[in-house]
Amino acid sequence: MEQVAAGTISEPLDLVKLSLGERVFIKLRGDRTLTGNLHAYDAHMNLVLSQVEENIHIVDVGEDGTAAPPRIERRGFEMLFIRGDSVILVSPLLE
Amino acid sequence: MSAVEAYVDHTVQVILYDGRVIVGKLRGYDPRTNLILSDCVEREYSLEGVEMVPLGLYMIKGDNVAIIGEMDEDKDGSIDYTEIKAEPLGEIRL
Amino acid sequence: MLFFSFFKTLTDQVITVELKNDLCITGTLKSVDQFLNIRLDGITVEDPERHPHMMAVKNCFIRGSVVRYVRMGARSVDTTLLEDATRRGEFMVRVLKGLRVD
Repeated sequence: MEQVAAGTISEPLDLVKLSLGERVFIKLRGDRTLTGNLHAYDAHMNLVLSQVEENIHIVDVGEDGTAAPPRIERRGFEMLFIRGDSVILVSPLLE
Repeated sequence: MSAVEAYVDHTVQVILYDGRVIVGKLRGYDPRTNLILSDCVEREYSLEGVEMVPLGLYMIKGDNVAIIGEMDEDKDGSIDYTEIKAEPLGEIRL
Repeated sequence: MLFFSFFKTLTDQVITVELKNDLCITGTLKSVDQFLNIRLDGITVEDPERHPHMMAVKNCFIRGSVVRYVRMGARSVDTTLLEDATRRGEFMVRVLKGLRVD
């Protein structure tokens, strides 16, 4: 995060720009999260990621209306375009 | 949008944002995906089979259109829709 | 414009479009426009038991706004070129000269 201190980042998209080629964490609408390598983005937050892992957070509700413990469904994709209108946040993943 | 031009005067299946399925002949369209369909039939999917509801001539506002598909009429005619049991399609959620 | 150009480079490749109603449609990308509306040929639907609704449909036009994801093979994408094009914020058509763009 030296770039933040050095003032290289002047607007939000600059943070995303610095993450190009790096692994990122994405939060999407519909209780989905992704991690993957960021290869492209635009002002709508349309994205292209590779080696993607998707986690869908699901809470099943029984017939009596009680919620079961949350469970996570996982999927993997080798190359993925994500439409920007689903994107909530983009964060660099420091491994 | 010009991709839709190829469907004019063909039988198409339109899937709407709320998950409804409408089949009809595409008579016209504009750049907003507003559609004119003649001899429309709504196909109501349920676990009891598909119910066909005739609707007539429709203008569908483009905002509601999710997918326009060209029907294979031979294949469509060979399917017994009373035997197709499935939940209706979900709505498009943002 | 970047993603419009990106999808143009995927023309005639097989892709899977996942919609915001969980419907997943696989087919050959035939065309794309500036709204990222997609035209797919020779389509099949994942999980036809749950989603038989497109059984008799041969090809389709998908409104860009209903797309959640587009899945594609890693080999279809030159990630270095994509990153360069994104960094420069240029139209990808210029960067991709020499690659198939039509």
